[in-house]
Amino acid sequence: MPTAASWTELRRSVDDVGALLAFRAGAVRRPAAFRLSALAFVVLTGAAATLPALLPGAGSGSGYALDALLLLPTAMLGLIVLAVASAVASGGGRELLAREHAVAYPVSPSTDHLGALLLAPLNIAWILQTWLLLGAAAYGVPSAQLAPAQIGLLVWVAVATAVGQLVAWSVEAVRRTRHGVAVVRTTGAVVALAAVALQVSGRLTTLLDELGATRWMVVSYVDGFGLRWAGAIAVELVLLVAAVALGAVPAHLAARRAARDELRVESGRHPARRLPRTVLGTLVRTDRGSVWRAVPMRRGLAVLAVGPGLVALAGDLDWARMTILPGLVASGGALLFGVNAWCLDERGGLWRESLPVGAGTVFAARAWVLAEFLLIASAVTLVLGGLRAGAPGPAELTALLCTWLVVVLQVVSSAMRWSSRRPFAVDLRSARATPAPPVVMVGYSTKLAVTTTLTGLVFSGLARVPHAEVSVLVAAPFVVWSLVRLLHARDRWVDPVARARVVTTVAG
Amino acid sequence: MSAGPVVDVRSLHVRFGEVEAVAGVDLAAHAGQATGLLGRNGAGKSTTMRVLAGVVPPTAGTVLVAGHDVRTHALEVKRAVGYCPDVGGLVPRATPWEHLQLAARLRRLRGWETRARDLLERFELGDVAHRVTTGFSHGMGRRLSVVLAALHEPEVLLLDEPFDGVDPIGVEATFEVISDARSRGACVLVSTHLRELAVEACSSVLVLRGGAQVASAPAGEMTGEEGARAYRSLLD
Repeated sequence: MPTAASWTELRRSVDDVGALLAFRAGAVRRPAAFRLSALAFVVLTGAAATLPALLPGAGSGSGYALDALLLLPTAMLGLIVLAVASAVASGGGRELLAREHAVAYPVSPSTDHLGALLLAPLNIAWILQTWLLLGAAAYGVPSAQLAPAQIGLLVWVAVATAVGQLVAWSVEAVRRTRHGVAVVRTTGAVVALAAVALQVSGRLTTLLDELGATRWMVVSYVDGFGLRWAGAIAVELVLLVAAVALGAVPAHLAARRAARDELRVESGRHPARRLPRTVLGTLVRTDRGSVWRAVPMRRGLAVLAVGPGLVALAGDLDWARMTILPGLVASGGALLFGVNAWCLDERGGLWRESLPVGAGTVFAARAWVLAEFLLIASAVTLVLGGLRAGAPGPAELTALLCTWLVVVLQVVSSAMRWSSRRPFAVDLRSARATPAPPVVMVGYSTKLAVTTTLTGLVFSGLARVPHAEVSVLVAAPFVVWSLVRLLHARDRWVDPVARARVVTTVAG
Repeated sequence: MSAGPVVDVRSLHVRFGEVEAVAGVDLAAHAGQATGLLGRNGAGKSTTMRVLAGVVPPTAGTVLVAGHDVRTHALEVKRAVGYCPDVGGLVPRATPWEHLQLAARLRRLRGWETRARDLLERFELGDVAHRVTTGFSHGMGRRLSVVLAALHEPEVLLLDEPFDGVDPIGVEATFEVISDARSRGACVLVSTHLRELAVEACSSVLVLRGGAQVASAPAGEMTGEEGARAYRSLLD
C-alpha cells in the first residue's frame, strides 16, 4: 500500500490548492476588508523587519543589541515549538475546505496538507512570534548584514512552519492507531515535564546552545551575502522542501485511519441524570455538554491551560508578571468556540429556538458556560504558574484576581457580541474545525490579544503598588464597561429578527 | 374546540435581505385536521413553518397560532407548538434523552418519562436514547425530531420534511403520530415535497411556488395519476 505521495500527485495537489484558495477567496464576505488586512500584515511585517534597526544602539554589538542577537537562535527554536504545538493541537492544522464540505470533492491528503501549511500563518501566535524574530534580528544584527539575515530568517520561518506541520501529521497518524491516544498523551506529558525539569535545573539553556544548528544559521546570516550565507540558505531550502514533501506521508497515513477520539465522542453514551431544578440550570447543563463533549474544545483547553502554565513554571514568573497569563488563556479559549457561541447548537438551533424559554435566559446560560470555560482554563494556568512563585503579597494577589475577572469579562462580552453580529455555520466535530473562517479568526485573535495583554500590563504595574485597593478601584470601570457591552450583546440577541438571522445561519 | 382556524395566516411575507422567501401566503388550518404544505425546494414551505413555530418573525402579514400573534406573543406560540425543523433539529453533542429532558423542563411537563420512552420505542430509538446525536444517521435524526415535536402533545404540530430519508418503519410511526394528534384535536401541518406521503397523511394540501401559494385542495384531489399530473402542473 503506497503511503507517500508521488510527484505527479504533489503537482496535482498544488493545482487543487490553487482552486480551493480561489474558492475560499470568492467566499470572503468583505473583500475590501480582507485586502486591507492582507496589506496591513505585509506592512507590519516589513515594519517589524526594518524599523528596530533605526533605534539607537541597534546593531552595535553591545548592550541590548548583543542580547537580541544572542537570543536569536533560541527564538528560532521557539518558533518551531510554537508551530508544532499549534499544528498538533489542531489535529494536523486548519482545513482549507471544511470536512463536511470537502466530502463531495476529490481532495487528497496531499492537498489537505498543503492547504494546512498555507493556513498556518493565520494564527496570532505564529504572527507575533515571527514579528518578534524579525524585530529582534533588525535590532541585533548590524545594518550591513540585515538584508541577508532577514532573508535567512524568512526562509527559517517557512522551515519551522513546514516542520511543525510534518510533526503534527505524524502525531495525528500515531494518535489514530489503536493505543495512539494514550501514546500521544504520555509522550506529550513526558516531553513537557522533561522541558520543565531541564529549565528548573538550569540546563535548558546549555542544551539549546549545544544543539547549535540555529546558532550556526545565525552566524551564517550575520556573515553577510557570501558562500557561508548561501550554504545556510541552501540547507534551509533543502529542509523546507523535505519537510513539505515528507509531510504528505503522515498526512496520507492519518487520512486512512479513523479519528478515534472523535469517534469515541460521537458514539459516547451518557446515562440519564436528574434534571436540574431551574430552567437556567437545565440550559447551562445542555450547553456544558456541547462544550465539554467536543474534541476541539477539550484538546484546545488542555493545550491552552497547560502550555502557558508550564512556560510560567519553567520561566519562574513572579506574581506581578503572571497577570499577563489569564488574558492570554482567556483569549485563546474564546477562539475555540466563544467567538461564534451560537454555533454550539448547529442545526439543533432551530429546534431550541422553538422551545418556550425567554431569549435572555438562553443568552445568560451561554455566556455563563463560556465564562466558566475561560475561568477554568486560566485557573489551571495560574495554579501551574504559581507553583514556584511562593506566596503572593496582598497587592499581587488582588491585582491578579482583578485581572482574571476583568479579562474574562472583556473576552466574554466581545465573544458574545461577535457571536450575534457574525454567525457562521460550523461543524465543531473535528479537532481541525474553527468557529469562524481562518481569516476572521486572525482578526478576532488580534483584537482579543491586544485588549487583554494591555489590561494585563496595567495590572502587572498595579501588582507592584503596595496598596491592594488600587487594583480594585482600577478594575471597577473595566468591569462596568464590559458588563455594559455584554448587556448590549444580550439586547441584540433578544431582538427576534436579529436572533432569527443568527439561528438560521448557524443551522446552515 | 374552537370552530375557527387554529392556524390563521394572512398575506404572510418573509424577507431575508434582498430575498423574499415567502411572498403572500394565506393559510387556515383547523383543529383535528392535517394540512400538507407541498412545493419544490425553495418554495417557502420551511420558512412558513419556521414562522409558525415562532423561530422566524414575519416581515409582513398576520400570523395567529392557537390564538396568539407570532409577532407579539412568540413565547405563547412556542408553548402551543411542537416543531420538527427541516434541517437536523438536534443539538449535536446531547443525547436523545437529554433533548427530551430539556424540552420537558422548558415546557413544565410532569410525568413525561413514560410517554417519552414509548415514543422512543415506537420510532426504534430506545437503544440509542443515551448516545450523543452527533453520530446519528440522517433518518435517525429525523425520527428523533418528530419525537421531540410530539412529546408534549401540542395543540399545533408542525412537521417539516419529517419523511426525508426516513425508513418505512419511521414513516409508519410518523403517520401514527399525526393520526394520534388529529384524533385528540390537534392541528397538524406537514411540509414535504413528497406528494404521495402528504396526501396519505393529510386531509388537505396547500401548494407553494416561488414563495407564494398557488393552490389549495382536499388531499383526495392530489392522489393517483390524476393528482400527480395536477401537482406537476402546479410546480411549473
